[in-house]
Amino acid sequence: MADVTHTPNAPPRHLPAGTPPILELVNIAKYFPGVIANEHVSLNVFPGEIHALLGENGAGKSTLMNVVTGLYQPDAGEIIIDGYGTTFPAPDAAISAGIGMVHQHFRLVPRFTVAENLHLGWSETPKRLSAKDIEARAKALSTKFGLPVRPSAIVSSLSAGEQQRVEILRVLSRGARLLILDEPTAVLSPVEVGELFSALRRFRSEGGAVIIISHKLDEIMALADRVSVLRQGRLIGTHQVADVTPDSLVTEMIGRPVALATSYPRQASAPEVGKAEPLSLQQVIVRDNAGVVRLDNVSLSLRPGEILGIAGVTGNGQPELAEVLTGLKDPESGTIFLNGKAVNRADPAMFAHAGVGHVPEDRLKRALMPGLSVAENMALREYDHPPIGGKFSFSMPQARKFAQMLADKAGVKLPGTQVQIRGLSGGNQQRLVLEREIRIASHVLVASYPSRGLDIGAISAMRDMLARARDAGVAVVLMSEDLDEIFALSDRIAVLYAGRLMGIMARADAGRDSIGALMSGRSLSEAA
Amino acid sequence: MSAVSHRTRLTVVPSYRIAVGRGLSILAALSVVAITLAAMGRSPIELAALVVRSTVGSRFGIEDLALFMTPLMLTGAAVWVGIRVNLWNIGAEGQLYAGATAATAIGLFTHWPALVALPAMIVAGMLAGAAWIFVPAAARAWLGVSEIVTSLLLNFVASLLVYYLATGPWADRVTGALASTERLHMAFPELWGAVHLGFILALATVIGLGIGLAKSRFGYETAVCGSNPQAAHYAGIGVAPRILAVLLLSGALAGLAGVFEVAGTVHRLQGGLANNYGYLGIVVALLARGSCLALIPAALLMALILDTGIVLQTTQISSSAVLAITGLLVLAIAAGDELAAYVRVNRT
Amino acid sequence: MSLKDLTRLPRRRALVALGSSLLLPSALKAAERRFAPIREEDLLVGFGHTSPITDGGWSYAHNQGVEAVKRAYPAVKTLFVESVPYSADATRIFRQFVAEGAQMVISTSNYGDFIKDVADRAPNVAFMECDGHTVSNNLGWYYITHWYASYVIGIAAARLSKSGKLGYVASFPVPSVYASANAVLLGARSVNPNATMRVISINSWFDPQAATEAGAALVDSGCDFLCGIMDDPGYLRVAEKRGVWAAMWNTDMREFGPNAYVSSVTLDFADFYIQQVGARIRGEWAPEGRFLTLGKGVDRDRWGQNVPEAVQKEADAVRDRMLAGWSPFQGPIYDSDGKLRVAPGHVMTDAEMYGWSWQVQGVSGLG
Repeated sequence: MADVTHTPNAPPRHLPAGTPPILELVNIAKYFPGVIANEHVSLNVFPGEIHALLGENGAGKSTLMNVVTGLYQPDAGEIIIDGYGTTFPAPDAAISAGIGMVHQHFRLVPRFTVAENLHLGWSETPKRLSAKDIEARAKALSTKFGLPVRPSAIVSSLSAGEQQRVEILRVLSRGARLLILDEPTAVLSPVEVGELFSALRRFRSEGGAVIIISHKLDEIMALADRVSVLRQGRLIGTHQVADVTPDSLVTEMIGRPVALATSYPRQASAPEVGKAEPLSLQQVIVRDNAGVVRLDNVSLSLRPGEILGIAGVTGNGQPELAEVLTGLKDPESGTIFLNGKAVNRADPAMFAHAGVGHVPEDRLKRALMPGLSVAENMALREYDHPPIGGKFSFSMPQARKFAQMLADKAGVKLPGTQVQIRGLSGGNQQRLVLEREIRIASHVLVASYPSRGLDIGAISAMRDMLARARDAGVAVVLMSEDLDEIFALSDRIAVLYAGRLMGIMARADAGRDSIGALMSGRSLSEAA
Repeated sequence: MSAVSHRTRLTVVPSYRIAVGRGLSILAALSVVAITLAAMGRSPIELAALVVRSTVGSRFGIEDLALFMTPLMLTGAAVWVGIRVNLWNIGAEGQLYAGATAATAIGLFTHWPALVALPAMIVAGMLAGAAWIFVPAAARAWLGVSEIVTSLLLNFVASLLVYYLATGPWADRVTGALASTERLHMAFPELWGAVHLGFILALATVIGLGIGLAKSRFGYETAVCGSNPQAAHYAGIGVAPRILAVLLLSGALAGLAGVFEVAGTVHRLQGGLANNYGYLGIVVALLARGSCLALIPAALLMALILDTGIVLQTTQISSSAVLAITGLLVLAIAAGDELAAYVRVNRT
Repeated sequence: MSLKDLTRLPRRRALVALGSSLLLPSALKAAERRFAPIREEDLLVGFGHTSPITDGGWSYAHNQGVEAVKRAYPAVKTLFVESVPYSADATRIFRQFVAEGAQMVISTSNYGDFIKDVADRAPNVAFMECDGHTVSNNLGWYYITHWYASYVIGIAAARLSKSGKLGYVASFPVPSVYASANAVLLGARSVNPNATMRVISINSWFDPQAATEAGAALVDSGCDFLCGIMDDPGYLRVAEKRGVWAAMWNTDMREFGPNAYVSSVTLDFADFYIQQVGARIRGEWAPEGRFLTLGKGVDRDRWGQNVPEAVQKEADAVRDRMLAGWSPFQGPIYDSDGKLRVAPGHVMTDAEMYGWSWQVQGVSGLG
């Protein structure tokens, strides 16, 4: 693109001109059967820079980073480190060259302590070690890099943010000068995001380089010095962040301007919000297996043709609320009314038959069978009745036809209905799940974090689908960590904090400040 | 760039690639065997000719292949239905004994006409096989106890129990045959030489199982449970009862193998009856990969290997060497499967 | 089991044959078959052994016979398979012998139906089964009358044992073990009517550890003479260490316990195998059941170095009487429940002792 701001080789403005780059990529290409993952990608990263990598799902960001970290070998092009051309036959070569990657899914041993994880597979780990020694060493590392961790804690007991700190610390302790982070904020609470950013800025000020992959434009604008945009495997442009706007980046990413609507007005033809309550909770209390109260005396009712937004920081009872609303979990006390009738026993099949659709938080883990075909996955809600199946039968040809129909409706191009669903991109998986769930959601649709991991084009399509469901008279529950999304779609907004419902208010009455206050556990009166 | 850089691993490997990969790896393994034999001063060509003549090249050989295949197809199917849903029934050996014991009870202590007794043996044998896995299955379904360990341990119980029956209360008092019961009063009719009806029934069972699982709601629901139990719960499919059902089906299939083995091939219940068919079923199931019908060629391959082993023993190649050759072949096939997943990437 | 049972065998066989007659009309027609003479260099004989020929016991003894055949008929080709399992695989191995062109198949242990099924399908091949029970058109059996040798050893046992308690390490409660244990005790009681025998079964013919443990347990319970049918010298070592006596089976094992060694029931199949192979070459072979008698295939071993001469002489005198045709196995003989099993005056036939399935009075633990 002949964009005036595309200045790929200039360092960020705060660095003196002529600073040598730590990493240079020249015309990198990587091919998979039938797919160009990367082609003609040239990019450089300077010490003391935070460089954002932006692109839709499947634009080739991860492949490029796998090339940089030695996981893949490029099919063409050159990798230059500190001015010397080099190859990474395996990841350890990249690590010894000072390149470290923090993956979106942490690669820690959950049952080991923080200190043990830090010392696992590390050449500097002493041959003879005691728990005390390695904990002391972990403590020293933690201080050195300014990332507070508890060395003796078992990793599985840590929050996502703490685990991420361990992961970053592990990479830094191996002498990384270039830190690559893949969607580091997806699982963090706002406070943790702030802590992460200040740690990254500190690393930059000490001469470290950072590549950060993210979908969140506001974060990129706040954190990065430069930004590179990938589309369909090719580099579209590299800019100083100061020279671009979120809108221009989106246009470059998608190839056309897309703006997420800030409101989704009701269609004129849509029925009014109904009075009936397809689903309601009365004083519901849920404990997890450890006996900790996850939902504390929650009462709420859904209305047809209305979107109820659930705001709140992750981990404040959202999964449990979704599970109670969809029959996956029995509350310890309290009552669930489905179409006015009290439910005795949690039975997801009964909820599904009563027209409750559910887009869970982690679709691959909860709503899909990764190893099965698209056809089998799409049949999951309707396999037990014609045309796909019956009391005893199941017809694969019908399931395939059905899956093709759903995919067409969702605008997903399939390589075939017999391919494993894990081969599809996250965005396409989400669209298919959404389409499948909306089909059965004649009364209620519970959508948990539906935009998680989606690019902006997919998010826009997903929101349209939710709005259409609302217009068709479905009671929609939308849980999201993105307040913009909640405000754009919701008719009413509820806030969850520590398992308690902090208040339900009409969209018109809700302000960002008051919702924010509720999310941090202050009551409305305190906030006012 | 190194040569490796132009290859990448496929997540879904087409079956023709698997076939080619296995063909090449078997060839490679056989070359290693041939070289070793030559180094030992044996003529690999003569031995190969003998093996071919004595297996696929003679009437006796083909009969033996069919007799080997009969239990292998069924124990293979027993393990396969489990693996399909991520359950590992390592206890097919024990369930085979249980099925054989039930069939023997009918064969020794009733004088029913064959038309009644043989179906009764089939039913009783399948029920016994299912009963033998019931406790491991229920423990897996509701308590999450690993079925691998429990089903395995019951093999030893079954083997000792059969041993006890064959040398104790059911021991043959007529001929004093070592450690075995009397000959059963009835047998599955022989169709072609020593090949009996059990072979046809085993073949039909495997084909029926493949079609049945592909076209039934049960097949679909269990596939969902196997691929992702959380998704099954989400869809309202009770996982525990289906785990139980699949494992009982698995046990019943292994039990059926025992019925055919005792009432078709061996005619007496005895200690070594299972002949490792339960364990070899694991290999057969793994060779068959995702396809039920592939159990048939997989069982044939296993039968060929076993038969080759017997042929080689008559040439004083010790049974341990034969075991080593078997292991090498299976290893080569596994390696072939893996290599078949790698493709060369052509520049575009 | 008794002689009566043995005479019933042909009818059983007829029933079995009837069952498969649809498939095998030729098997019945071949009733009068003669095995035509064959040139020595054309003859291929297959041997199936139950254990490795290096076992130092049963299969070793048989293989000595095979070697003797090779010396007597150098042109005859032989095949053998060791460790033939007692399972359907045995059938496959015997079929393989036939498929490779063997005109004569000899199994050196009992394989029951597994060998009979093959014999029925290969009517032109001569089959012989050691420890077998079936005679058909082309299948015969042979066995050693080891009980006479055991009786001779039993006499020495009673003279050597101070406590009168004999210990027996058994494999399985099968007829050859009953016959062996009973014969030793009957021999012992002929000189010491109060002698008793305790038996421990270890469910194996070859398990040195179990045999050692069983031997030690027997010594602990007061036995000062150990015997049994084992392919290994496990309990002989125990006897040597604990200062008691032991008698063995199969071969001369004195090197493993020279002080404790009394004697052994030794086997020699050389003459029999040479004679049978020769008969097959000459076209004179016929299926039959055949016992190899004392001195002609089975005998007691040379006495141990510490066995007093008087004891040797006393026992050998009885051996001489047996060689002359006398049998000590005469009624009345009672079983361990005190029931009269052999009527006074009746002399047990070899066939009866071949099928022995009860323990005589004074023996305990065999079942």
